[in-house]
Amino acid sequence: MTQINLSELTELHAINKKLVGGYHISEQDTTLWQQLDQNIEAYQALFSALGHDLQHDRRGFYYLASDESTPNMGKISRAIALTVFILIEHYANQGKDPLRALFDEVADLELMQTLVQLNKHLFDQLEIFSGSDLRKDVYLRMVRLGLAKEVEQGFMHLAPIYRYIDALMEVNEDGFDALEDEV
Amino acid sequence: MIPAKKVLNTLNEHWGVLELLFKRFKMTDFSLKDVQNIIKNKNPQWTSERIFRETNRLLNQEIIIPLAKSSQLEINRAVADFASFLLQEEDLGLAEEITVLVKDLERLGTRLQQAGDEGDFSELRRFSRIMDERVRKIVKLFQHNESAIFNIVEQAKSDNSNLSLQKRYRAVIEAFDEYIEPMLEMVDIRGQFHACFAVIESQISHQIDSIELFGRGAHDKRMLEQLRTRILDMHLIGRESLRKSADMLMPLREELRRNTLITRQAAKVLGLIRKNGVDRMLTSVQPEFVSDIQRFSLGQKRHMVAYMASLAQFEHDDYQLPDQTDVPAYHSPNIPDYQDVHTAFARTFADNGNKRQALLGFLTSQYPSLDADEMLFLYQKLVSDQDFELQQDNERAKVTINEHTFALYPFNASTVQETHHDTD
Repeated sequence: MTQINLSELTELHAINKKLVGGYHISEQDTTLWQQLDQNIEAYQALFSALGHDLQHDRRGFYYLASDESTPNMGKISRAIALTVFILIEHYANQGKDPLRALFDEVADLELMQTLVQLNKHLFDQLEIFSGSDLRKDVYLRMVRLGLAKEVEQGFMHLAPIYRYIDALMEVNEDGFDALEDEV
Repeated sequence: MIPAKKVLNTLNEHWGVLELLFKRFKMTDFSLKDVQNIIKNKNPQWTSERIFRETNRLLNQEIIIPLAKSSQLEINRAVADFASFLLQEEDLGLAEEITVLVKDLERLGTRLQQAGDEGDFSELRRFSRIMDERVRKIVKLFQHNESAIFNIVEQAKSDNSNLSLQKRYRAVIEAFDEYIEPMLEMVDIRGQFHACFAVIESQISHQIDSIELFGRGAHDKRMLEQLRTRILDMHLIGRESLRKSADMLMPLREELRRNTLITRQAAKVLGLIRKNGVDRMLTSVQPEFVSDIQRFSLGQKRHMVAYMASLAQFEHDDYQLPDQTDVPAYHSPNIPDYQDVHTAFARTFADNGNKRQALLGFLTSQYPSLDADEMLFLYQKLVSDQDFELQQDNERAKVTINEHTFALYPFNASTVQETHHDTD
């Protein structure tokens, strides 16, 4: 049993507030991240006692894992997933290194407009009709979830985006076939 | 024949020009005008006559030479090689080159053995020299290729984002497939390279032995020993160099592989999304988040499980609510029955000859184990008892009961009413 010394968990309040809101704490949140990094076991024990599953991803972020989410959150997550996948394809089409571009390049309004225009019928399904819709419905929410940060010209993606890349890689042939059969 | 010193002087003087020529035109040809322009560019203060003279000097010393049947010029091969060595602008050689040299080495080894067996020492020396040269050449090639690979890696890394990934890494992939892999195969411990060296080594060792045996030509022995050492060293250098090169290339190759994997996967998944619809396709794969609303509800499976588990343990139990009217008064389990206290006090009082008696003093001596509040409860009962005649002190006194201190005007009993005493 891990010893939980509450007096050491000085940032517990802030961390709890952020995490239960679905926020991903990554290295840019220096204080919280360090605090978690140093007392990860205590935090993990504490959160699991509260019925949460605190996950530490080696690529540098912490979050509460969840099996299901509310329909609304599910929709947001779908929109983010679609955006990330389309971005990867977009960068690859431009001959860029998709992963590097994803984390190095700023997503500005112009890029968002291009994305929505090029994939209109996909974004239509999520009721995103323009670049500013994408900004409002996806990127601002990504900021709230700690998946991106706002910079001067747009948004920078942060490490927790890897969750989507993992999800992308998880889609395997079997899954495809099963889905095909359903159809 | 042009004196070497003269050529070196010219090279020294015009190194800037040559470097630029080399970098700009690499292995292609250029015109006389190009040369003059570059000289002019490097030495803006020179007159055109001087520029003409200097150009001629380069031509006369065969540093730049005319192409056959053309007015175009090129850099002398020897100078170009020298420059590429100096500038480390080396192009990756072929694995074949080294293979051929090693095969040649093998052939020479056999010839050397033959010469040794026949006792032809001048031949032995000659082959030994040639082999020595070959070995040096191979070592040079290894080093050359290593720096070429270093250049390739540097180039691929110096990120030029608008260059396509495929293009950026093409050189890397080529280097890997065409040089590193065949070479690694070759230097593998079970590969032909190794076997060949083992043969050569045993041949040379045999020669050394026979020289020792017959005691002739100490000089030859030394030479052969040197050759043997050099070959072993070469093998080592080759392996080191290849390992280093592979280490440099490997991360880039992995990166490319991973990226192509991600890109391919993204294209595949997007294709499916286009076909099947966003919600259908993504619902099963999207990452889930905890949300504020969930905090207050039994939204998640494990919450439900916990809830169901506690339901399963629930046992229905009939619980009788107490009737409002007949609630028995609360009785502290420690307090003795008041009737007994009353009797005991009355008796003590009578035994003492109906003298003035402190109520609290009696209680503490009679019931020393009672708590302070219980003691006070009895005290209050006694005080309000009509059976005793009580007087209150005029002076305030401090009393300590079971570590609690009270300040009060204590009551004392003086007489007991006779009537009541009788009834008891």
